[in-house]
Parts: sequence; structure tokens; C-alpha cells
Amino acid sequence: MPIAVDALQPWPDTVTWRPVSSKLITVELIGLAVWQVILVVGLGVGWLIGRQWGWLAGVAAVLLLGVWRATVAVRAVRAWGYAERDNDLMVRHGLLVRRLSIVPYARMQYVDVTAGPIERAFGLATVQLHTAAAGSDARVPGLPPEEASRLRDRLTALGEDRAEGL
Amino acid sequence: MSTTETPSASPSPERADAPERADRQRLHPLSPLLHGAKSLFVIVAALSWQTLRQLGPTHFAMVVLALAVGALIFSAVGWWNTGYQVVGRELRISDGLLWRRNRAIPLDRLQSVELRRPLLAQLTGLAELRLEVVGGSKAEAPLAYLTVREASALRERLLELSGRTPQGSAASGADPAAAAHTVTPQEHLLLSVSNRDLLISQLLTPQAFLLPVGVAWVITQFVMEGSWTFIGIASTVTAMAGVLLQPIRRVLRDWDFRLARAPGGRLLLRYGLTETRSQVVPLHRVQAVRITWPLLWRLTDWLYLQLDVAGYGAPERGNDTGSDRLLPVGDRDAARFLIGTVLPGVDLAALATTPPPSRVGWLHPFGLRFMGVGLHPDVLVTREGRLAREMTLVPYARLQSVRVVQGPLQRMLGVATVYADAAGGRSGVARDRDLAEAWALADELARRARQARQPVSPAPAGFVPPAGFAPPAGSAPLAGFVPPAGSVPPAGLAFPAGPVPPAGFVPPPAGGEPADDSYWQRPPQA
Repeated sequence: MPIAVDALQPWPDTVTWRPVSSKLITVELIGLAVWQVILVVGLGVGWLIGRQWGWLAGVAAVLLLGVWRATVAVRAVRAWGYAERDNDLMVRHGLLVRRLSIVPYARMQYVDVTAGPIERAFGLATVQLHTAAAGSDARVPGLPPEEASRLRDRLTALGEDRAEGL
Repeated sequence: MSTTETPSASPSPERADAPERADRQRLHPLSPLLHGAKSLFVIVAALSWQTLRQLGPTHFAMVVLALAVGALIFSAVGWWNTGYQVVGRELRISDGLLWRRNRAIPLDRLQSVELRRPLLAQLTGLAELRLEVVGGSKAEAPLAYLTVREASALRERLLELSGRTPQGSAASGADPAAAAHTVTPQEHLLLSVSNRDLLISQLLTPQAFLLPVGVAWVITQFVMEGSWTFIGIASTVTAMAGVLLQPIRRVLRDWDFRLARAPGGRLLLRYGLTETRSQVVPLHRVQAVRITWPLLWRLTDWLYLQLDVAGYGAPERGNDTGSDRLLPVGDRDAARFLIGTVLPGVDLAALATTPPPSRVGWLHPFGLRFMGVGLHPDVLVTREGRLAREMTLVPYARLQSVRVVQGPLQRMLGVATVYADAAGGRSGVARDRDLAEAWALADELARRARQARQPVSPAPAGFVPPAGFAPPAGSAPLAGFVPPAGSVPPAGLAFPAGPVPPAGFVPPPAGGEPADDSYWQRPPQA
């Protein structure tokens, strides 16, 4: 039997991971670009006023960081995944620090569906499952609206079904 | 209080029938005075010594007086607009003048109730009732102040209502007044902490050892500068007191600590000197227990216990205002007895853990041998800490979620950290486990969490754990989580996701004994 040692692929034979929409890459990149523009404009204004090389160095650093984050964003979005098992929802994400959350449906307190402006423009939404524990971290971004509402309804239905709460 | 609508009825008819305003009760008329007096301290503290120097004593007193009168009026208005009532299985609290707020607190969500009596309240025979509810960032709706009799009666009533599941209440009838009478406190004392031990234990803290150093430093500072102003000394002393007087605050807080067991599976904790607290925690609301052995307390072989109840929020370091004490100081036997009471079937002496693989040694040059995780029949046990050793017990039935986190360094070493989140804010943390083992552990935890709940959910009686301290026969190291030595992939991976035979998770039946000693012994050198 193959041994799963990939941090993002535990139990490959029993769990089917579903990816998030690849449109999330665009959303992330646009969000990144907005920040880049704000920072670069700010630093550029500083340079125009002060005429010091430090400002330009700052612009270069911001741009470099932006390029690096843009390359990472693609892989980071691919790293997101969720799986609905019989009794729990599993969510994995992260590249540098890899995280996997297992949240039993029975422990669900409430479900949030949110969509930011850029997410909405691309028809995406984020589903977040909350438990009574502050540390729980089950957030699935980049879901198409129908998938988001399906997941939400399924989670709430399963949660009601087995509600044990605390 | 005559709303004897059957609590089992659905909420909507209750709401319709409830006389909205008629039963609304006010807090005690002295409350605004007490609040005003409390804000006096806050005002003085906020104005600080600096202001006193600038204004001079007369003006300072006038400013304080003006602010205090303002605060008094403010609290009086607040008092006038605050009311509470119990409707069905809800406590409703309304307050606010401009922004009216009506809160309905569903009592089946009630986690614990605390009766606090600060010094002024003790002098006036009043008490503050604090309810812990899930989801509240801090104590929801402190009812300050009520007379002690009112407060205890209300507490009894709230607990009575909260413990009842719909089926149970239908069977037992719905007469809250009668119920309040039947619950005469036939509690029996489990344990009390002697004040001598408490004092000694707080002398054995870093702060107590630093106090002479701090005092000497301040004195030399003033001798060097030669500026002996009263204000200067006073402000320095105040600043120091904040940090260094923590042991004294703890002594005052935990003074005369008594722990009793009330009928109906509740713990009753009473402690405090200047502010007495009397806290009722239903046993099934305990989310996690943490045992800590501070470094200096090893001289006397003492430890302290904290318990987590959902609603306390995440504990902050150095924040002593929370009421999470289960035992402020005690020896091993007391801890063992208490843990057996709070988590029936768990024997502290038999909680073995296994350390992480030795290849992570350079990440934890000192603490490695004191880290570990153990799967026991009812609880997950995690240990860490080199100087102050900590052990966290999370019952599987209280697990909220399981997380596996792997940082970049951990990836290089092929290890990962497993978090078992409980609702109280503390998590059981199994650091740096071998990756394959971490997956197996996470899967096993999710499975056990599910299994631990299954017999409970259909039970009508609200899960009252059996009394007494008798670990079941099989609780000893038998089911300790024993991964194979070295980095051989554990057979645990073979566990499918579905329901599996409930036998303990013992991958290789190699030795059958834990790879580590009991909690207080030094683990063998790796």
C-alpha cells in the first residue's frame, strides 16, 4: 500500500479532494495588483517629493515581492482543496505552512457565505464553517455560487441532522 | 416569575404568551452606587500621578469628584433601564437608554454561572451574577448587582432550566419554583486548599524572587538621581506593582479555595478574599483540563490545574481575571483525585505519552523529552514545556476540530503538528509528530470524537457523568498510543475513514507498554 507522505494528500485512496475554482487565481492576482498599485503610487509620490534613492529602492522591492507573490498565488490556489466525508469536512491549504482541518459536521455552529467585490465580479464566494472552538479553521474560498450554496445547504442539513454542538 | 409555560413547548407560543413587561425585574437599587464607586478607582487610575502633580491635590479632588458624580448619574440611568426576566428556557436582559438592547440568552447554551462578590458588594450584601454562554467573547450579561439570596436563587433556577433537555422537562413537569426548593445544596466538599500552601506556592514564583531585585533597583535609581519626590516614587511603585504584585493578586484571588460537588453532576468552586467568587460548572461543560508544573514548584512537588469552559474565550498570558482555576495549588494526589472527578475514568498516574521522533531534537534542544502525545480511552493527552511542564487533557467528546499544520522546517524534517481544538480556547497540541503518524493521529482523533458522541446524543438526561473516582479496568496504559520506534510507517494509515472496530489505536502490539514513563518521572534519555 502506498504511504501518503505528501502533506497535502493524506489518505489518497479514501478521500476525494475537490479543488477550488481556478478563477480564484485571477481574483487573488487582481487583489495583489491593487495593493501593488497603491504601494507603488505612494512610494512614487514620496520619490517625487523627496528625490531620494530610498523611495525607488522601495518601489523595486514592492515590485519584486509582487512578482514573487504572483507566482506563488497560482500554486497557492491550487493547494486549496476540500473534501466532504461522511462525517466531517476536510479543508487543506497553504504552501509554506501547510494546513489541514478536519471539522465534524456535528460540531458546526454556523456557516458563513461571503463574497468580496472582486470575488463577486468573477462569480465566486467563500464558505466558512464555524465551530465553538476559536482555533478551528475551515474556510473554503473560490467557490462558484451554486457550489457555495450547495455546500452551505449540505453543511447546515448535516449539522442539523447530527447537531451535538458542545 | 409566574410564567409556568411548559419549557418543552416550542419557543414561538412561549413568546406569544409571555407577558413582556410585567415580570421584568430590576437589579438592586444600590447597584449604581457600587458601579460609581468602582468607576472612582478607574478614574483615579486614568488620571494618574502625573495629573495629580500638575493640578495639585485640591483641583485633582474636584476633577475626580466631578467625574465620579458623572459616572454615578450614568450608572443610575443605566440601572433604571436595565431589567431581566426568565421566560420559558430563556433569560432576557434588556438595557441601554439610547441604544436599547434586548438579549435573549437560551439557557440550554449556559456553560457555567459565577457569583462574584467584590469587596464593596460583600460589605453591602450584594453579588454579581455572571453567565458564560458559548459565543460570548466575554461573560455574557453580568447581572450586577443582586442581593445574595436573589442571585443564588436565580442561579439555581437558571441551572435547573439549563440542565433540562426537552424530554426531561416534559417528564419532570415544569414548576421552576418547586424545582428551586428541591435543589437544597447538599453539596459535599471534595477538596480545600490550605492558605499556607497557597502563600508558599506564590512565594515560589519568579515574580516573588524578582521583587527584592526590583525594590533594590528602584532605590538605587533614586539614590543616584537624588530626586526624592513623592510623585516620582509613587508612580514608579505603581508601575512596578502592576507586574510584581501578581503573586499577591493570585493569593487574594485564590484565598480559601474550596471545591465541592453539588448534586446533578456540578462542580462548585468558591474562592477569593477581597472578591469572592462562587462558580458552578456542570461537569459535562468541562472542555479541557490543563495541568501545569511550574519550575519552582518542583521543590514541593506541586502543580496547578485549570479547566476550560466554552465561553471563557482564549486565555491570555498574565491575565488573572479569568475564572479558570480548578486547583490553584496542590500535590499529585489531589490532582489525580480531581481529574478523576472531572473526567471520570481518567487516571492521571496512568497517562503516558510518547515523545516525537528524535530527529526533531535540534528544533527543541531542551524540551524534546517532555513533549508527547497519548491517546487514552477517553481523553487526548498532550504534554510540552521544559521549564514549566504542561499537560493538556481534551476529552474526545469535546473535540471541535482537528488540524494538521506543517511549516517549512517541519516539511524538511518530515514532521507535522496536530492540533485538537476544544471550545474553551485551549487546544491539545501534539508538536512535531512524524508525518505519517500525524495523519493517523488526526484520522484517529476525528474517529474517536465521533464515536465518543454517539452514545451521548440520544441520551435524554443531558449526560451526567457517573460520580466517584473509579477508572475502568481497561484505562491503564493498555490503549496508549504507541507508534513504532524509529520512522517506520505506522500501520495506522490502514485505518479507513469509515467506522472501524472500536478497539484502541495500538498499531503494532509490540510491547503493549507505553514508550514513556508516567507524567512526573523524568523520561528516559533518548
